[in-house]
Amino acid sequence: MKSTKQILQRVGLHSALFVIVIWSVLPLLWTFQTSIKFTRDVAAKVPVFWGYDTTANAYRAYWFDDQNTNMWHVLFALIVSLVFTFSLLIAGRRAKRSWPFNLLALVSIVAFLSFVGQKFETSDQFEFLINSIIVTVATVIVSISIGLLGGYGLARFSGKSGAAILISALAFRALPRFSFILPFFIIAKNLGLLDSRTVIVLALVAVNQPFTIWMLRTFFLEVPKELEEAAMMDGATRIQAFVRVVIPTMKPGIIATSLFTLLLAYNEFLFVRVLAPTNWTLPVGVLALAGGESSMGITEAAAAAVSITLPIVVVIILFQKHLVKGLGSGAVKG
Amino acid sequence: MNRKSFALFIMPSVSIMTFLMVIPLVTTIWLSFTGLLLRDLDSAPFVGLQNYREVFADPNFWRATRFTLVFVAITVPIEIMLGMTFALLLDRVQRFRSIYLAAILLPFIVTPVVGTLLFRNLFSRGGLLSWLIELVTGESFAIDASNVRFLILLHAIWQVTPFAFVAIFAGLQLLPQERVDAAAMDGARFWSTFVYVILPHLKSVLFFVAIISIMDSYRVFDSVFVFAGSRFDDSHTLSVYNSVEALDAKIGRLGKGHAIAVLTIIGIFVALIPFLVRSYKEQIAERT
Repeated sequence: MKSTKQILQRVGLHSALFVIVIWSVLPLLWTFQTSIKFTRDVAAKVPVFWGYDTTANAYRAYWFDDQNTNMWHVLFALIVSLVFTFSLLIAGRRAKRSWPFNLLALVSIVAFLSFVGQKFETSDQFEFLINSIIVTVATVIVSISIGLLGGYGLARFSGKSGAAILISALAFRALPRFSFILPFFIIAKNLGLLDSRTVIVLALVAVNQPFTIWMLRTFFLEVPKELEEAAMMDGATRIQAFVRVVIPTMKPGIIATSLFTLLLAYNEFLFVRVLAPTNWTLPVGVLALAGGESSMGITEAAAAAVSITLPIVVVIILFQKHLVKGLGSGAVKG
Repeated sequence: MNRKSFALFIMPSVSIMTFLMVIPLVTTIWLSFTGLLLRDLDSAPFVGLQNYREVFADPNFWRATRFTLVFVAITVPIEIMLGMTFALLLDRVQRFRSIYLAAILLPFIVTPVVGTLLFRNLFSRGGLLSWLIELVTGESFAIDASNVRFLILLHAIWQVTPFAFVAIFAGLQLLPQERVDAAAMDGARFWSTFVYVILPHLKSVLFFVAIISIMDSYRVFDSVFVFAGSRFDDSHTLSVYNSVEALDAKIGRLGKGHAIAVLTIIGIFVALIPFLVRSYKEQIAERT
């Protein structure tokens, strides 16, 4: 039997957490309800909280050039592809081999995007979404592949040069973007590489490398040396042992590090703004519309904000346990 | 692992960092002594310390430096205190834990540029908070030069607190429950458990969070650029000031821009060198 005092304590604890939740989600919630209102209700002197008419006009204006696009059709296609994706992901978790399911899930998202791109008259922002996805995925793949090699080397080598590399990496982690970005800009301009996604990916991989090797190294330190030594005794080379024996044990570390890289790449603003005069990603695209005194309506800016936020929020929430574990065992001890 | 295989494993990382960080950094330092202009990238006449003299004589530089320091001094401690509070509270509940966790992490996930738009929407005309402020003060509210700094700081705290929270929360999960229980058995109150058991356990976590937060706040760009932009010059941080001087189509003085970048780098290293030296010694000690 719980005492009254204990119950009161519980209630107090959950109320405090509820306040924290409000503080965290209120800005997004408020913007969400702005995005589905008509302009007349948004401009009202006293905010309209309930009973307003809802509309997808703002989302249509943001994503499509054709203002007669039927948003129900878009929503239907989105729901079908999401149901497909999630069923595949859930099936994959239960199956013995999960990668074919994950691959199919990815295919279903790509199929949705190409369907929307072909079937409807999309706006520039849709191009920026595709750019964002390509840049983010490429940055994660390249950074993690290089980082795995480097992190493993740093975890297993005990010479002084290892320490020197780690500390220089830490120092580079502190540098502001403007330490590198202007030379990047000048070189890219002279080589005619401005506006190419490759330059942005390279820049992001570089600035992210210090963090990546530190974090992956900490995960590698937790993998017992005996594991690969046994494999090497059986005649495997170090590379073979690394790929076949060590990497498979690193899944949590790879997921956690990938999530941080993903956030960094998807959210990047300055590199894209400087290195790409027109071929933007979403954060630069939205600011060109909503920044300063431009004509973009409040509701459209709100729809843009919600549209950019939802995909990444879904991805992170799916993997949030790995994020916490990653910081727990990875960065914290480092 | 012998030296040769170490060199092979580390080579891709080190070469990408050399080509894309070290060489640009050296170029930045060199170009800071030239009069390079954005509209004419072919000639970079050597001008000696001219750029540095100009930066030091520029009141905007000192204003940006001051605001950057204020920004770091305010956001970092508040972020850590709030993150600690959130983590201690969440650590004591099991029910709905993953929902609370997802909600608290949200500001950390939201793209910084988008986060500033969310805040602007709360505080602009017809926004929830501007309406509440008008209700309380009875005066009409608009974002202007006098309150934009407050908004920048509020948004920064909102955005970075989840990072401190998640690191501290992760650290708390590694604290053996027996130690907390033992302290409670000895009749320790919450505060003494906190000071003598929890804080010492979290020491390295807090150190890590503080260092990362100082680095990130010191170079803050996105949100300040959106909030202050070209309208509120006196609320620029060093990175935004740097971008205006170097990349603004009208000014576009890359030489001066590089000088500002170099001074910014010197600033962060003066603060970080004791920490870097300490980490290096730790690394060496681990190896012997």
